[in-house]
Amino acid sequence: MNARRQPEAGRRGAQRATSRQGGSQRGGSQHGGGGRAWLRHHREIMTDSARRLIRRPVSSLLTMLAIAIALILPAGLWLVLDSARLLDDRLDDSATLTVYFDADVDETRAMGLATNIGDQAGVAATRLVTAAEGLADFQQSLGVDDALSELDQNPLPASVVVTPDDTTPAAVQTLSQSLKQLPGVDEVRLDLAWLDRLQQLAALGQRVTLGLALLFGLGVLLVVGNTVRLAVESRRQEIEVVTLIGATYAFVRRPFLYSGAWYGLGGGALALVILALGGNWLAAPVAALAQSYGAEFTLPSLGLTHSAFLLFFSTILGWLGAWIAVGRHLADIKPR
Amino acid sequence: MIAFEHVGKRYGGRFEALADINFRIERGEMVFLTGHSGAGKSSLLRLIMRLERPSRGRVMVAGHDLDGLHISQVPYYRRQIGVVFQDHQLLFDRDIFANVALPLTIQGVEPADAARRVRAALDKVGLLHRERALPIELSTGEQQRVGIARAVVNKPALLLADEPTGNLDPQLSTDIMRLLEDFNSIGTTVMVASHDLALIARLRHRVLKLGQGRLISDEEAA
Repeated sequence: MNARRQPEAGRRGAQRATSRQGGSQRGGSQHGGGGRAWLRHHREIMTDSARRLIRRPVSSLLTMLAIAIALILPAGLWLVLDSARLLDDRLDDSATLTVYFDADVDETRAMGLATNIGDQAGVAATRLVTAAEGLADFQQSLGVDDALSELDQNPLPASVVVTPDDTTPAAVQTLSQSLKQLPGVDEVRLDLAWLDRLQQLAALGQRVTLGLALLFGLGVLLVVGNTVRLAVESRRQEIEVVTLIGATYAFVRRPFLYSGAWYGLGGGALALVILALGGNWLAAPVAALAQSYGAEFTLPSLGLTHSAFLLFFSTILGWLGAWIAVGRHLADIKPR
Repeated sequence: MIAFEHVGKRYGGRFEALADINFRIERGEMVFLTGHSGAGKSSLLRLIMRLERPSRGRVMVAGHDLDGLHISQVPYYRRQIGVVFQDHQLLFDRDIFANVALPLTIQGVEPADAARRVRAALDKVGLLHRERALPIELSTGEQQRVGIARAVVNKPALLLADEPTGNLDPQLSTDIMRLLEDFNSIGTTVMVASHDLALIARLRHRVLKLGQGRLISDEEAA
C-alpha cells in the first residue's frame, strides 16, 4: 500500500510544479489544461445535462414526445412511399418495352435480332419471347387453350422484352423510337402514360414528404428552443455568476447545447419506438387486406441505417434548436 | 495595478455617474472606496470588471487598457480578478465545495489540483469542515466567507469587494475585513467598496471618497 502511494505523491508533486510554471504568466492559464481539460469538461457537461433531464422526467418526456410526434409524420410517410417503391428513380420491371418483330421473322433470326437489340445503347437487359412461348403465355393468361389449338398456324410474332438503362419517361421514349428503326422490328409497345403518371405521383409524394419534413423539423426547432429558453431563464443567476468570474460564452452555452442534443436524441428514439409499435399494430389488418387481393405485403420498417439516420438527424435538430435559442436569450442576460 | 485617467461614465446620455476620475493604485495596496449610495462606487467597480466601458477617459488594469480589450478576451481578463459581492452570489443548487471550485472549473483546472486549491481557500476562511454543506445551511457571515473563498481560490492579483459587509453585524464585518487584510498582506491588491465609515476609519488604509460621481478626496493611510 505504502509502496504504491509513494510514486503517486511524487507524480502529483511534479504536476504541481508544472502547473505553477504555467501559472506564472496568468494570461496564458486558460491553455493550462489543454485538450484533456476540454474533453473532461465536455464529458462532465454531457452527463450533467443528461442528469438534469432525468431529474425532471415528466417534463423531459413531454418535450421528447412533442419532438417524436413531429418526426413520426414525415418518417411514416417516407416509409409508405419507400414501400411502394415510389422513391426509387428506377421503376424496375414496371418500365419495360416490348419489341414485336415482323411476322416473317423466324426463330433463329429472332435470336440474332434480340442479341442486336441487347447491344444497343440504353438497353440494360433483353428477354426473347419466341412465337411459341408467346402463344403459350397467351393461352395461359386467357384460359383459351381449346380455341387456339384449333389454329393450324401461330398468329403471334416473336418479341423481345427490353429493360432500359434509364427509366425516365423521356429516355424510354427515345429508346423506343430508336428501336423501332431497327430492321425486322414491327412495333414497339410501352405504356408511357402509366409510367408518366406513376412518376408524377412519386415526385408529388417526395415533395409532400420533404415539405412535411421541413415543416416538422421547424416544429422540433421551436419545441427545443422554447424548452431551452425556459432552462436559460431558470439558470439566470448561475449564468450571471459564471460570466462575472470569467466564463467564456462557449462555456456558458455548452450545457444548453448538450441538453438540446439530448432532447433531440430522446425524441428520435421515442419516434422509432412509436413507429415500431404502430407498425405492429397495423401489421395484422394490412396483411389480411393484402391477402384478400391475393398479394403478399408486409409493412416496411426503418432499417438500421435509416434508424441511425433518424437519430442523428433529430439530435442535430435538437442541438440546432438549442443553439438558436441560447444565442437569442443569453444576449438578454447581462450581469448586474 | 489600477489607473483611471479622466474617466467619465454617462448612462443614457444624460445621467453622469462618474466624471473626470483620476487615481492610481499600486500593486499590493489595499484601498477603500467610499461615498453615499449613488455616488458612483458600483459604476467604478463595474468599469474595473469590464462590465461596462467608460464614456470618456481610460481605465488600465494590470497593464491592460480595458478599452482595447477584445470582447473575446474579456473572460480571460476577468479570471485575473477575484470579486466578492454584497449578496455573495453563491449558487444554491450545489455545495460549498462546488461553489468555491467554480472559477477553477471554468478554467479547466485538473480536478485533483482544483480540490487542493479549494480546500486551501476554504481553510483560509475557516470553513473547511463545511465543504459538503449547501449554501442555504450556512449563516450569512459564513456565506460571505464562502464568497471570499471563491474570489481568492484562483489566487487573483486583484481582489474587488463590493459592500462585502453590507448585511453583516459589526463583529462579523470586522472579521470579513480582517480576512481581506490577510489576503492583502500576502501581496494581493485589494479594493473594497463600503460605506461603513466607522469600520474603515479603524482599519487605516488609503480611502478614495466619491461624491456625485467625482473623486472628492484621496487620503493615504494615517
